[in-house]
Amino acid sequence: MKLAVVVQRYGADINGGAELHARYIAQRLARRVSVDVLTTCARDYVTWKNDLPAGEQQVNGVRVLRFPVDRERHPHEFGRRSVRVFERTHSIQDELDWLDSEGPTSTALVRHAARHAAAYDYFLLFSYRYYHAFHVARRVASKAVLVPTAERDAAIGVSIFAPVFRGVRGLMYNSPEEHAMIRAVSQNDSVPGVVVGVGSDVPDRADGARFRRKFNVRRPFAIYIGRIDENKGCGELFSHFQRYSAAFPRGLDLVLVGHPIIEVPKHPRIRHLGFLDDADKFDALAAADLLIMPSYYESLSMVALEAWGLGRPVLANGRCDVLKGQCIRSNAGLYYESYEEFVEGLYSLESNGPLNARLGRNGREFFNRHYAWPVIERKYLDMFERLSRAEPPDAMAPLPSWLARRTRDVPPAADVLARVPSGPALTPRAADACGRSA
Amino acid sequence: MSDFHVRSENVDVEQIMRQIRARIRDKRGVDYTEDEIRELANVKLEKFLDPKGIRSDLLQQYRRAREADTAPRNYAFEDTTLYASSRPLLRTIRRLLNPLLKLFFNPNPLIEALHIQSGLNESYNRSEALYYELVHNLVLETTRLGVEVKTLKMRLESISSRIDFDERRARALEGVVQYRPGAAAPLQPPTGQGNDLDNDGNERRNRRRRRRGRRRPVGSEHGAPTLDHASSGTEDLQSDFRGERRTEAPVTPKPQSGESGPVPPKPQSDASGPVPPKPQSDASGPVPPKPQSGASGPVPPKPQSGASGPVPPKPQSGASGPVPPKPQSGEGG
Repeated sequence: MKLAVVVQRYGADINGGAELHARYIAQRLARRVSVDVLTTCARDYVTWKNDLPAGEQQVNGVRVLRFPVDRERHPHEFGRRSVRVFERTHSIQDELDWLDSEGPTSTALVRHAARHAAAYDYFLLFSYRYYHAFHVARRVASKAVLVPTAERDAAIGVSIFAPVFRGVRGLMYNSPEEHAMIRAVSQNDSVPGVVVGVGSDVPDRADGARFRRKFNVRRPFAIYIGRIDENKGCGELFSHFQRYSAAFPRGLDLVLVGHPIIEVPKHPRIRHLGFLDDADKFDALAAADLLIMPSYYESLSMVALEAWGLGRPVLANGRCDVLKGQCIRSNAGLYYESYEEFVEGLYSLESNGPLNARLGRNGREFFNRHYAWPVIERKYLDMFERLSRAEPPDAMAPLPSWLARRTRDVPPAADVLARVPSGPALTPRAADACGRSA
Repeated sequence: MSDFHVRSENVDVEQIMRQIRARIRDKRGVDYTEDEIRELANVKLEKFLDPKGIRSDLLQQYRRAREADTAPRNYAFEDTTLYASSRPLLRTIRRLLNPLLKLFFNPNPLIEALHIQSGLNESYNRSEALYYELVHNLVLETTRLGVEVKTLKMRLESISSRIDFDERRARALEGVVQYRPGAAAPLQPPTGQGNDLDNDGNERRNRRRRRRGRRRPVGSEHGAPTLDHASSGTEDLQSDFRGERRTEAPVTPKPQSGESGPVPPKPQSDASGPVPPKPQSDASGPVPPKPQSGASGPVPPKPQSGASGPVPPKPQSGASGPVPPKPQSGEGG
């Protein structure tokens, strides 16, 4: 079997959520099947500037083919088009223009995929909302397996994506919440799909003491790992933590790991360590009492899975359906929607608190049962095998005619999203994280 | 914070969250969700903006300023605006000729700039309303504070005049006593409860004695030694101020005391016979009220337990400042 992994950016040092997800999957599947990665020359996800050379390259033993991006993203133009598509009644053409302005607009990549479709059994397409995934899915629909990595934002309500969700061969979801959301916007029940997620190379034993020595961390602490950004809920986290630290002088400290986009408050109990390599990151998780995930929008929190893999409980933002659902399904984390709940959660999950050990144990078990690499690999291979036995689906619905594309009768994407049911997917079917659909 | 009731290994996160929320509700006292609280805050803001509730002409001035400003508040500018027309044919022609237009100049920066300006205008309009609201709220608060300051000033003046009056009266009484050294009995200034105590505490002692007489009529019934003498008045006074329980001599300084019954015992007595109480042992006659420390000012009422002033509530842990809320069991550490 030969597989093409198509992703917007790819590299050993590129650590965006979907990109890391794609790299892990490509490297793992490369042990079982032949894998090529089709990607762009971009490193920066804001501009899609061609930073890397086009052509063939090997990354951790995987063949990577890079294609140039035709034009960089213009943030103002993209913002303007986003407002039109998300908030106003618009046309299909507006949506296509929005997709072009979002990028990465690499026609060479799309052309290559279409020309060499016969050379691959399946195309594993990451991130539904980008140019490459949309156009490759349309060109090679009969071989396209989509990993949507969809979050609950207005892009899911853009109407051009619904035919893609209905027209690909299969879907690999990250969570039951994502599955439910996509099913609600596209009615794609007939498309085979499975909730998979992604694994992580969590070490069997991490050395928390080494981390404490290296970074001179003495007090018990909660940790946040990821981009320090307002969109990730870090502003609210800082606000809550500063109130908490004023009220509880002997409570937990906060350690931050990751690149800062917003300013980290100068506070004696907040330590920012910057970006850490995997060894330090896992040691830090092992040393922490708990992990805090303040993000509002996640399709799957890999770092939460890693924390559970190391037996650490998670305190998540309860306004994120996926995180809340994961906490409930795993019984390994609490969630907060207010400052009071944040404080109570921190108190309960302290290492000498009443719940830390129990939830940590549940987390490790949840990770091993659903997110260990053998489980993930088996789900992917089973899906490919299942698709090879299944009848080829109907062709993907074509785009409307030239005139119809320009008719402004498409409702705002935000309105579509507002009609999608929210909340964690806790039905018996969804609660089984391995549950298949269709 | 209290621990959770986790009875088995199979914890249920949803149940724990329910417990957490119940505890938060108990603390708050009212079960408001976050959304409800936000709604209440919005209602409050709207109330501030209600013209009926405004006590100044700020809103009228603001409205006049807005009406005087005839400039449009904002406009919408998209990339199609330049070529827009109510006539579809004209719009189509313009669009067709667009490539030709682009040969002469690039309209994109213009479109972009005007679009940004439109956004800025909108932002300005929004912030203008917010500033108005802020200023208006400040005016209201300042008015409220002004009224409060006036009230406090009046109360302060009233209290200081009462203090002044009391001081003058006390001095006048002292003057009366000085000019009439041989007067029969010191008059208690009729100033209320604080004067239940005379300078030496005699009146209070008598009252206490009467009460005890009623409460413990027969001391010897319990095997206490029979009283046959009384201690000196000084001892009585000291003992009174120490707050000791003591038995007293059967004094009858006033007819209404009615102490004709059995005499309560007095263990420490060593005097030879019943002696009427003497506030000061060396006084030869009726003693005028005397300040304890020789101060010439008014004598403050004396606390019963020797404290020098009202005792403030004591913090439980000896902290001198406000103590922040603490979890009931160990907070990390």
